[in-house]
Amino acid sequence: MTQNNHRSSEYHVASLVASPILAQLDEVKAVITAVEGAEIHAVSDEGKIVFTVEGTGFKDLDKKIDIIRVHKGILNLSPVYHQVLDEEQEKKLAESDKADEVSHQVK
Amino acid sequence: MTINRREFIKANAVAAAAAVAGVSVPAVASNLITSSDITKLKWDKAACRFCGTGCSVNVGVMDGKVVATHGDIKSPVNKGLSCVKGYFLSKIMYGKDRLTTPLLRMTNGKYDKEGEFTPISWDQAFNVMAEKANDALKKDGPEALGMFGSGQWTVQEGYAASKLMKAGFRTNNIDPNARHCMASAVGGFMRTFGIDEPMGCYDDLEAADAFVLWGSNMAEMHPILWTRLTDRRLSAPHVKVAVLSTFEHRSFDLADNGMIFTPQTDLAILNYIANYIIQTDRVNKDFVNKHTNFRIGQTDIGYGLRPEHPLEQKAKNNDKTAGSSKPIDFNEYAKFVSTYTAEYVSKLSGVPEHKLEALAEMYADPKVKVTSFWTMGFNQHTRGVWANNLVYNIHLLTGKISTPGNSPFSLTGQPSACGTAREVGTFSHRLPADMVVKNPKHRAIAEKIWDLPEGTIPPKPGYHAVLQNRMLKDGKLNFYWVQCNNNMQAAANINEEAFPGYRNPKNFIVVSDPYPTVTAQAADLILPTAMWVEKEGVYGNAERRTQSWYQMVKAPEGAKSDMWQLVEFSKRFKVEDVWPEELIAKKPDVRGKTLFDVLYKDSSVGKFPLSEIPEDRLNDESRDFGFYIQKGLFEEYASFGRGHAHDLAPYDRYHQERGLRWPVVDGKETKWRFKEGSDPYAKPGSGWDFYGKKDGRAIIFALPYEPAAESPDDEYDLWLSTGRVLEHWHSGSMTQRVPELYKAMPDALVYMHPDDAKKRNMRRGDLVKLISRRGEVQTRVETRGRNKPPIGLVYMPWFDASRLVNKVTLDATDPLSKETDYKKCAIKIVKV
Amino acid sequence: MKKLNLAVIASLLVVAVSPIMYSLNANAADKETINSVATLRDATPIDVQKEPNAIPKVVNKDIKQGRNYPMQPPVIPHTTRSYEVNKNNNKCMSCHSRHRTEKTQAPMVSVTHYMNRDGNFLAEVSPRRYFCNQCHVTQLDAKPLVENTFTDMHSLMKEKSKANKH
Repeated sequence: MTQNNHRSSEYHVASLVASPILAQLDEVKAVITAVEGAEIHAVSDEGKIVFTVEGTGFKDLDKKIDIIRVHKGILNLSPVYHQVLDEEQEKKLAESDKADEVSHQVK
Repeated sequence: MTINRREFIKANAVAAAAAVAGVSVPAVASNLITSSDITKLKWDKAACRFCGTGCSVNVGVMDGKVVATHGDIKSPVNKGLSCVKGYFLSKIMYGKDRLTTPLLRMTNGKYDKEGEFTPISWDQAFNVMAEKANDALKKDGPEALGMFGSGQWTVQEGYAASKLMKAGFRTNNIDPNARHCMASAVGGFMRTFGIDEPMGCYDDLEAADAFVLWGSNMAEMHPILWTRLTDRRLSAPHVKVAVLSTFEHRSFDLADNGMIFTPQTDLAILNYIANYIIQTDRVNKDFVNKHTNFRIGQTDIGYGLRPEHPLEQKAKNNDKTAGSSKPIDFNEYAKFVSTYTAEYVSKLSGVPEHKLEALAEMYADPKVKVTSFWTMGFNQHTRGVWANNLVYNIHLLTGKISTPGNSPFSLTGQPSACGTAREVGTFSHRLPADMVVKNPKHRAIAEKIWDLPEGTIPPKPGYHAVLQNRMLKDGKLNFYWVQCNNNMQAAANINEEAFPGYRNPKNFIVVSDPYPTVTAQAADLILPTAMWVEKEGVYGNAERRTQSWYQMVKAPEGAKSDMWQLVEFSKRFKVEDVWPEELIAKKPDVRGKTLFDVLYKDSSVGKFPLSEIPEDRLNDESRDFGFYIQKGLFEEYASFGRGHAHDLAPYDRYHQERGLRWPVVDGKETKWRFKEGSDPYAKPGSGWDFYGKKDGRAIIFALPYEPAAESPDDEYDLWLSTGRVLEHWHSGSMTQRVPELYKAMPDALVYMHPDDAKKRNMRRGDLVKLISRRGEVQTRVETRGRNKPPIGLVYMPWFDASRLVNKVTLDATDPLSKETDYKKCAIKIVKV
Repeated sequence: MKKLNLAVIASLLVVAVSPIMYSLNANAADKETINSVATLRDATPIDVQKEPNAIPKVVNKDIKQGRNYPMQPPVIPHTTRSYEVNKNNNKCMSCHSRHRTEKTQAPMVSVTHYMNRDGNFLAEVSPRRYFCNQCHVTQLDAKPLVENTFTDMHSLMKEKSKANKH
């Protein structure tokens, strides 16, 4: 099947919504913040936490999410969004972008 | 500055999750995106544009363009999922050939039926339309005017159209394409229960122990409901799935009991199950005694063809008595179905006896909660109403109805077939809230709500969809407006009826569409039309869920919504132009007013000011007309059903909810109708209350098997069934313009059994002609695709505008529902 | 006899109309795609049919295709002919499941696929996602009939950032 030899060049980001037990909101926030690549972006009035986890692969992301998922203060954790960026490919794209921009500035 | 790609997709991720959680992202996160304001992505909810499932989707808008869509996690229907079509909603509005100016057939600057399409202004378009409509009115009266609408119209559009035609122009010649889709389901509901639409809801999917699919390929046509059914089947091992069809399709992938039957014999199988329940003494006697009546229906009712057709000449009761019935008792009913033995039905249908028995046992076993689903296999059937009646028989005999998981569930095809076609009543015989034009009391109610003089609404049902094409051909229908559908591709037998009808020199045909469809090609005037989130609207799905959305982007310059077109056109007519003097005399204050004033602006439609629209919202139509017209149309329409078991919530609430299932009483939606405790309209102490009938009892009908209109013979030796595919929505006018969907399923092939191909010396990929008594179509042979027909039957989908399979099909209809049978006609296939 | 008459009338009508349709379409073909008619039929008259093209082949290059927006399900870049996906087997998962991807180097299904209807994580792919082909489709080697002018977020932003510099 598909051969993919550039796994290390992948950038993964997933966004999730966590519904914690309100009394443990701060603890849950602390756990999320402690995970490498995780970042909280918003907390709703009802205590729902919107956060992202970044990583280098599926396994990496899985591992990180698992740390958060098993925390006793979490009632429910919903992944909303997940995207993979192949940066090798992106680099090529970016280079052509740059070329575009250079020519644009000359004008 | 160059935006960092990582930051960009991270920002997307945050935006999506924030939308789901319903929180606004604070400045910190906005900063993460970029310090400038260039990445303002606004998320909003809308109903999916495609099928009757009614998924809710989140739509991402940037710079006035839709840039992303995904399933709405908060929606109880789809919980974050979309099917492949739904995921590509973002692209349906951006086909390069969007129409942006009215096009009129002209020669030397003048309208000419045989001229070339020439761009004109909206003003010119309405001028020529008004002239043609007035000519027809003067010459032959209101019956020369007609409109063909859609189950894809918003509720407001359908209501505005119905009011314009029935009250304004005083003609009932308005019908929706939903006639092709679920008219038989409506007939079934009205006949058995006296009130339309399913008693159950999608929550049945998580509660049932067994599912039976009758002529429904949910895996392709209701993909998100199929995900729920699959979830249930694979999560709960005791759950069983039975699938019945005339050919094998994707839904068989999950079938524990898959059955291929000879076309039309579903009627016999249904009666066999009833017989089995009686023979094995598993009738729920308590339920049957308290909540049902038995009747025997009229038979030999014809096939809805033109009166001179030999089949109609032969039929004994293809007259007004076709829908009649007489009361019988249980014993007479038992005797009636007793002829449908396993042996007889197995021989007739080709389904092995043990499979039939396993199916019947699922229904008969009192411990098994059964949900039956059906779609076009039942509805597009010359005995479609009967098929609906017969499946209700089974659920009524066993009392398996209106409780979680026990559900005879008619699925609809279109996003608002329920909302717009059925509930609003855009059919040629109907008024809102299940009322009919024939009934003087119903007309009086409508005239009162509309504040119009008595006698405004004509009592005679108008031309239904199939009859409209026949009347066009016969030159009786001369001004014809088609909105939001593609009937030159969708109607059966276009060679003999629709095409000569549209091109009949006596007729003027207007087609409103976002894209240049086959129907537009056959028109005299094409109107460029705004679509989906380019306007505000409401859809009603198959589980009675009413959902709304705001306008999110502007339509391409020049394109206008169907509703704007209808309402703007009404300004061209003074009441005196269209109403007789004696009608005006009953209400002299309408004198001198336009239809726009009488029907919209000065009626209750016009009473909501623009200030009720949130300031940051687009709403091109309302801002043009000067009042919140979508709200006005909705609220006036809702007043028909409130207090009559069709209650809708206040309009504004739908903007806050992921839809609500009517009746909405005291702010609460209703999941299971007719059951005391879950339906506020069921009388206390009744247990079940089928309140659509005066005595609260549903009807169990004795109806026989009768053969199809056309069956294979020596010359035309194959059955042809037509239908849809997963990747395309109906005629493909939207989805064929999405490259990924086009490339997933570019062409309509004819699916054949390998032996049938071999017998005709054909191989996969060969160019062939499908020929019927009516016409022919060319395509290529597929012998190993997703559909696996049995020997003797072929399947060809109709989404492909370049291969019009409806040149071949037969326009036979159910005489009761007037719905065409697209699943059965006789053809031959020859190599080209 | 009556039927025959009808058929004759119908065919006369068709003949009468055909030349006009032809001229109309000859003209349309010269015009821009904007406001032309019957794009999906290549402007062929309704009573005529163009010869159907051959059945295109499935694109089988195994090269991942870009997505229009992050939540779009990726299309399948290889053929899936005779893949069994039914209640007993799921051939797709034999390469794309979590514990198979190391061996096969195929992309693993997204983490969102492990969430059930109520939003909880499961150990295995959620059964509601079981039938892969409801969202993921192969692509045939066919040239789209109509261009689509959809612009993705990234391109829109790039345009804007360029415009902002002026």
